[in-house]
Amino acid sequence: MSIMRINVGPIHPSTHGVLRLMVDVDGDSIVDVNTHIGFLHRGVEKLMETRMYMQNPSYTEKMDYVAPLAWDDLYVHAVEIALGKEVKEAAQYARVILDEFQRIASHLLWLGTFCNDLGQMFTLFMWTFRERAEIIKFLEDIAGSRMFYVNIRVGGLWKPLPADFRERAYKLADYIEGHISQYPEILDKNPVFSERTKGIGRLSLEDAINMGASGPVLRASGLEYDTRKAMPYYVYDRAKFDVPTSSSGDAYARYRVRFEEMKQSLSIIRQMLDNFPKNEDVVGMPIKLIGPQAKPDPVILSHELPRGEGIIYMIPDKQKPYRIYMRSPTYMNLSLLSHLSKNHKFADLFSILGSLDVIMAEIDK
Amino acid sequence: MKKKGFDYLKGITAVDYKDHLEVVYILFNTENKKQEVVTVNLKDNNSIHTVIRLYKSADWLERELSEMFGITILGREAPRLLLEKWNGADAPLRKSFEWGKDYKRNTP
Repeated sequence: MSIMRINVGPIHPSTHGVLRLMVDVDGDSIVDVNTHIGFLHRGVEKLMETRMYMQNPSYTEKMDYVAPLAWDDLYVHAVEIALGKEVKEAAQYARVILDEFQRIASHLLWLGTFCNDLGQMFTLFMWTFRERAEIIKFLEDIAGSRMFYVNIRVGGLWKPLPADFRERAYKLADYIEGHISQYPEILDKNPVFSERTKGIGRLSLEDAINMGASGPVLRASGLEYDTRKAMPYYVYDRAKFDVPTSSSGDAYARYRVRFEEMKQSLSIIRQMLDNFPKNEDVVGMPIKLIGPQAKPDPVILSHELPRGEGIIYMIPDKQKPYRIYMRSPTYMNLSLLSHLSKNHKFADLFSILGSLDVIMAEIDK
Repeated sequence: MKKKGFDYLKGITAVDYKDHLEVVYILFNTENKKQEVVTVNLKDNNSIHTVIRLYKSADWLERELSEMFGITILGREAPRLLLEKWNGADAPLRKSFEWGKDYKRNTP
């Protein structure tokens, strides 16, 4: 048998960005996948070294344009630690609520496009986008912008929460729960979905740890590790929630883990709303900031982003970060692609790639 | 470190302190959920040994490190450039990288 090389991308609807894959196939089965990245490389880390602290959130949130608030929050939290500033209690609750809504919105978008990748499932795509639109409307009313919110400031948020914030958040959580509970009906009982995800792209726990898988991909392989539980930040330690895991490690398990995570997020949101402090002051400091005067220690901070564990390692300086390293979880997850897709059929490649949930802007940085 | 149970390599990066480079490894123990940061000073030479035999996740991380900081990784082969193909500047994240200079991209 001779080996044929098929080129996929850089512009392709299923690569979710500019990703180029050189796939060596023997007949219909994949021998090797060469992943070419870097088409979106902008040198974010270098750019951030040249800007003042609070100019940088506009870069961090373009890291992951599907969940901009999550990276924004991680960066501003790292700056707060570097400056030794406390976050107001109500703001901590508000940030957790916003982060969890953002996680649900991100998982919904993933689920819709994933079903699209599998083909013939446009219904679910429309459904998930309907739910996501409600979350985006809610976030827009708080932040004033539809996609890039930039509403997180040192010590709190940009402006006070709207008067009906809690009421609307309760209603939105109920609305989403009512709708996502219909999804298993259309997915788990669908033979196309089962055939194209069960047993596809299996990742063992040993490999997942050794190869640096992150977030839902790692949990789908069986490791119960969630930064919100293992290294709690904000008020996550006051919420009771489970870390969904699965042992099979295939594309189906990744879907199950993400789906259960959405339910857990709703539970966290409700608990936060129940215990929301009476003093609803969430307004943070103005944008002008002078950094630490003495030479401080490096800051290392992990947050559980929708796609996995994001880490910021920052050496702070007076007005700008001296050096900032942002570990993107999808960079590690994409490096698994060639390992996962070996000996699978060519048509399964996009099932595997879709289940990894890659965002090219975050990978190329 | 791996013998001590740190089986999960989360990230590798470096910091350019102008007189020397510091390579940073972020390691994690999945048993007791402890995190450790290991730093290595590169005083004279710009090379470091690979850890790919212990952690497979080091593959892309080391390639990013070597492309962004111009650090040679000893003991492994990098088949091709991963992130960028720059002409003239080898290490964009070093402090000596001139900001705003017109670097030409080496298109294949």
